Amino acid sequence: MSIEVRNIHKHFGKFHALQDVNLHVQTGELVALLGPSGSGKTTLLRIIAGLEVADSGTVLFHGEDATDRHVRERQVGFVFQHYALFRHMTVFENVAFGLRVRKGKAKPLEGYIRARVSELLDLVQLGWLADRYPSQLSGGQRQRVALARALAVEPRVLLLDEPFGALDAKVRKELRRWLRRLQDDLRITSVFVTHDQEEALEVADRVVVMNEGKIEQVGAPDDVYDRPASRFVYNFLGDVNLFHGRVHQGQAQLGGLEVEVPEHNGTLDTAAVAFVRPHDVDVARYRSGGPTIEATVRHVKALGPRVRLYLERTEEGAEIEAELSRERFEELALAEGEKVYVSLRKLRVFVEDSLSAA
Amino acid sequence: MHSGKSLASSTASNDPRRAVISEPPLVRYALLAVALGFLGLFLVMPLAAVFTEALSKGFRAYFGAMAHVDALAAIRLTLMTAAIAVPLNLVFGIAAAWAIAKFEFRGKDLLVTLIDVPFSVSPVISGLIFVLLFGLQGWLGPWLDDHDIRIIFAVPGIVLATIFITFPFVARELIPLMQAQGTEEEEAAVVMGASFWRTLWNVTLPNAKWGLVYGLILCNARAMGEFGAVSVVSGHVRGLTNTMPLHVEILYNEYDFVGAFAIASLLALLALVTLAAKSFVEWRARAAIREAIAMAEAEGGVA
Repeated sequence: MSIEVRNIHKHFGKFHALQDVNLHVQTGELVALLGPSGSGKTTLLRIIAGLEVADSGTVLFHGEDATDRHVRERQVGFVFQHYALFRHMTVFENVAFGLRVRKGKAKPLEGYIRARVSELLDLVQLGWLADRYPSQLSGGQRQRVALARALAVEPRVLLLDEPFGALDAKVRKELRRWLRRLQDDLRITSVFVTHDQEEALEVADRVVVMNEGKIEQVGAPDDVYDRPASRFVYNFLGDVNLFHGRVHQGQAQLGGLEVEVPEHNGTLDTAAVAFVRPHDVDVARYRSGGPTIEATVRHVKALGPRVRLYLERTEEGAEIEAELSRERFEELALAEGEKVYVSLRKLRVFVEDSLSAA
Repeated sequence: MHSGKSLASSTASNDPRRAVISEPPLVRYALLAVALGFLGLFLVMPLAAVFTEALSKGFRAYFGAMAHVDALAAIRLTLMTAAIAVPLNLVFGIAAAWAIAKFEFRGKDLLVTLIDVPFSVSPVISGLIFVLLFGLQGWLGPWLDDHDIRIIFAVPGIVLATIFITFPFVARELIPLMQAQGTEEEEAAVVMGASFWRTLWNVTLPNAKWGLVYGLILCNARAMGEFGAVSVVSGHVRGLTNTMPLHVEILYNEYDFVGAFAIASLLALLALVTLAAKSFVEWRARAAIREAIAMAEAEGGVA
C-alpha cells in the first residue's frame, strides 16, 4: 500500500515542527527518514501512524484520505524506539495481543492465534523465548519481539521509530541487514526513522533527508550521497571538507586553487563554498600537473582498512581531512610533519544564494 | 578489563580492610541501642499496654466488650464507611493518575496541588467544611432540612468526611509510578487496535497494580482509623453514628477501660496487618519500579 503525505504542517507551541511536508512512498518500498534530532522525522512518522494529529494537510493510504481515520483503524504496524513491550506479558502474549483485541467476527480462534504467533516468532528466530518476559531479554531480542508484534496484525504499513537506536554497534549492524532481508521477503511498505546516515544508506530503498521541519532531499542512497541537493545534505551525509572562495563565470577561486565549475557558468563574482569528501582528496609527495594545494601532515589515524590524514594548508592554516586506503598510505610512506600536495578528485560548489537557502 | 573486574569482586568479599569504610563497633551498637530504645518506648510498650489493658479482666470481659451492641454497631459503621470510601477512592485515584500521567493539559499542576489539600488541612477543618456546607446553619442546610435529608450528625456525613480525608491516597501512589512508565505501551496497544477500556484493563492497570494495592491499603487504614474529621460531623450518637475510633473515646471517657481498649486492640490489629501488607506490597512495587527504570535505561541511550 502506498503512503502519501500532502502539505503537512505541525506546531508544538511556537515550534514549527513540520513545514509543508510532501512525501510519496511507493507500495513495497523501504524508506528512511533521516535527519538530526529536532528535524521533525519522528513527528512525521507519528502523523502517518495517527499517533499525532497534523495542524493541516492530508495523509493518504493507497490514494484514500486517512487523515481523520483513528489510529486503531489505520492498520499500521508501529515499532517504538524503546519497543514498548508489555512488561507483564510473556513474549507470546505480547505478539498475540493485536489478535486478541479483535472483536466480533474478526476475533480469531485460539488455534489460529497460536499458529500465527509461533510462525511470527520463528520468523524473528525467537520461538524458544515465547515464555519469557521482556525484562529477561537482551535489547536485540526485545527489538525483534517488537517487530513480530507489529507484524502480527498484518499491517498494511510498517513504521519504525529509531529501530536500532538503543542497540550496541554490532547488534545494530546485524539487525539492520536482517531487517533488509525481511523487507525483501515480506514487501510491506515501510518507513523508518533514523539519525544515523550509515543506517539509512545501507538499509533503505530511498532516503528522505530532513532538517528543521522540512524535507531537504529525497532520493536513492547513491543519489543523496553522490549528488546532495543542498549544503545541509552534503554536511549531514558523511564527513566533508569546506573551501571558501568565489565563483566567476564557471571558474571557482578557492584560496589558491582554481577549479572549473561548468554548472555555474552564468554566475558573476559571487561568494561560494566548495565541499569535498575526505575520500575524494588525493595526497601526493610531489606536485602533479593539475591544480594542487600545499599542506603539511599533522596527524595520521588508522581506522581499520582506511587511513585518515589531518592536513594543514600551508597558505591559510585551514584543516583538510583526507582518507586513503591503507595500500595508498603505505605506498606514500608519510610521517607527521611532512609536506604534501593535495588534489581534489571531486568537489561540489554551492554559490551564495543556495547557501542562504541551506 | 573483564579479568580486572572479576579480580576486584573476588577480593572484596574477604578483604580485612573493609573495616576502613565502616564505623567502630561501639558507635554502631550505640546507634542500634538508641533506635531500639525508641521503638520499645513509643511503639512496643503502647501496643503491649493496649492488649494488657484490654485483657486485664480476662478473655470473657474482652470478648464481651466487643460483642456489646454499641461496639458491634461501631464496627459495622466503620466497615461500611471503608467499603464505600475505598472503592470510590480507587475510581478517583485511577482517573486522576491516568489524566495526570498520560495526558498533557492546562491546569495539570493545579490538579496535582488540589489532590494534596486533604493532606495539608487539619482533619478538624475538613470536618468543619462539611458542617458549613450541609449543617443546619450551612449553605445547603435549609434546603436539605426542607427535604428531610440528614447529612451532618448522620452516616452520610461520616462517609463524606472519610472520602475527603482519604482521596489523595491512591492517586498519590499511582501518579509517580505511571509517570515513570510513560505512555508508549498504551500507544502500542492502541496502534494494534485495542479499545480504551481494553488498554486500561490489559496494559495500564497491570503495570500499576502494586502501586494501586499499596494506595488501597493506606487508604483503607486511614478510612477506618480517621478520628478528627469524623468526630466533627458525627454527633456521637451511640449505636448510630459512632465509628470505632469515636467509640473508643466515649468508652474511655466513661472509665470503661476494658471496653475502650478492646476496640482499640482491634484498631491496633488492623494497623499491624496493614503494616505487614504494606511492606510486602512495597517490596513488590519497588521491584516493579526498578524494572521499569532498568528497562528504560537499557533502552534509553538515544533520545
